[in-house]
Amino acid sequence: MSKIYIVEDDRSIREELAELLRSSGYEAEYLTDFSDSADKILSAGADLILMDINIPNLNGEQLLREIRKKTDTPVIMVTSRTSETDEVLSMSYGADDYITKPYNPTILLLRISAVMKRAAGSSQTRTYNGLQVNDAKGSLTDGSRELSLTKNEMIIFRFMLDRQGSIVTRDELMTALWDNDEFVNDNALTVNISRLRSKLAELGCEDAIETRKKQGYILK
Amino acid sequence: MRFREYIRDRLWFYIITAVAAGLLYLFLTAYRVSVQLMLITGAILLLFVCAEELIGFIRKKAFYDELREKLGSLDKKYLIHEMLKRPDFYEGQLMYDALYEANKSMCENVAVYKRSSDDFREFIEMWVHEVKLPVASLQLMAHNSGGETGEKFLEQLRRIDGYTDQVLYYARSENAEKDYIIKETSLRRMVANVALKDREALQLAGVSVETEGLDISVMTDGKWLEFILGQFMSNSLKYIASGREPVIKVSAEELDDRVLLHFRDNGIGIPVSDLPRVFEKSFTGENGRTRAKSTGMGLYIVKSLCDRLGHSIKAESVKGEYTEFTIGFAKNEYYRMENS
Repeated sequence: MSKIYIVEDDRSIREELAELLRSSGYEAEYLTDFSDSADKILSAGADLILMDINIPNLNGEQLLREIRKKTDTPVIMVTSRTSETDEVLSMSYGADDYITKPYNPTILLLRISAVMKRAAGSSQTRTYNGLQVNDAKGSLTDGSRELSLTKNEMIIFRFMLDRQGSIVTRDELMTALWDNDEFVNDNALTVNISRLRSKLAELGCEDAIETRKKQGYILK
Repeated sequence: MRFREYIRDRLWFYIITAVAAGLLYLFLTAYRVSVQLMLITGAILLLFVCAEELIGFIRKKAFYDELREKLGSLDKKYLIHEMLKRPDFYEGQLMYDALYEANKSMCENVAVYKRSSDDFREFIEMWVHEVKLPVASLQLMAHNSGGETGEKFLEQLRRIDGYTDQVLYYARSENAEKDYIIKETSLRRMVANVALKDREALQLAGVSVETEGLDISVMTDGKWLEFILGQFMSNSLKYIASGREPVIKVSAEELDDRVLLHFRDNGIGIPVSDLPRVFEKSFTGENGRTRAKSTGMGLYIVKSLCDRLGHSIKAESVKGEYTEFTIGFAKNEYYRMENS
């Protein structure tokens, strides 16, 4: 389980954020005492750090620079400062992404998983049930047969593959699609999922995607 | 300064001089002074009066002419005092000192207002950042609690966020300082961000979003552009026409010297008479009065942000058919080189 460290001085936000992350399958920890922030953050050994710019004692940008001197752990800046200047500064100090408050929680999760994947190096080919996923070609293969997926089907399949075994809501799938500027509607999503289902069935994975009423889908 | 006017202004001096001369000659006649002597005194008197008037006129003329000329060419007339030299005659000095006092008090007054407006803007900016914290907190709570109620809360929170952003960008657009960064920005990313922000509302209204040719980068401030596009988006959502599937089309085209970004919807459109005024402050127009509530500020802020960023903006519409906003981004190779 990946561990995410939250550096946020607003108590209510950090608690809710931790709950959100835990319910999405991450381990979450946060800082409550902001003296010697940098040391505490580093010793926590997190896989990703979510950090606000306005934190007590030390400016978030300075803290970011201090952390960058010692580790390459991905950092996402989460802040209510909405100016391009802050974003450019943060990125130049080594942040991996920059998100402004208030944020859509689904989008935040999407960004977190994107940054994590980038940090882990996405070069390894992923497999599902003996099927190889070819991201570049947008296709699935079981060695002998190869089936190409449309862009939308690929986005949906990859998203579900990342969360294999847990429920993925329609809202999350929709957000992932729109984030890749595929502005599909509800019907199109249903159609895409049923096409994906039948393509997987063709490759021998019957009933790979299970529908959970009023909740979403699970890739088994 | 005209001599005739000056002389006319000195009427009382002449009357008194004439009375004095009249009395003088009365006495001279009484003492039986010779006519010759009377003529000589008269001539001397006249000479002195003329000389006095001429010198007086010339001394003042230089100062007042300069005053009038500078006043005519000056853009900020209250700064006139800075442009003048202190004259060497008494009246002029009085006038000059009065101008100095008036100018000083004016500048102090302006400074007071400027400071209070700067303070106010700073406070607004700070306040917006502060208020975003509870909004962010509530958004997380609503999401964590899940379900339909959570969705409803999220929708209202998005409205609050939209309104606070309007205040923030209004304060920014009125600010004289430069607080934006122009850099290469991907239009595709911008449009996706804006659409993503309003995704729920767009889907609820059944709007389909189409894009074309967005693989272009432009020189702009990303945050400001996102706000601008967000305003277009919320207007399109407000003024959907009934009886047809709502469509929003965002497209970009590259010309030789600039990039045009079109934002077009097939909503109720804007009446011809309102169209030239949509960017005016507090202008609500027919749509704003009869349909959704409107503050008349959204497009005004959009226009001032575009002006600040140096983008052109144009609105086109046919009532009952469509509304299209076009932003023109200058292509500047110099910018590009500097940033690469």
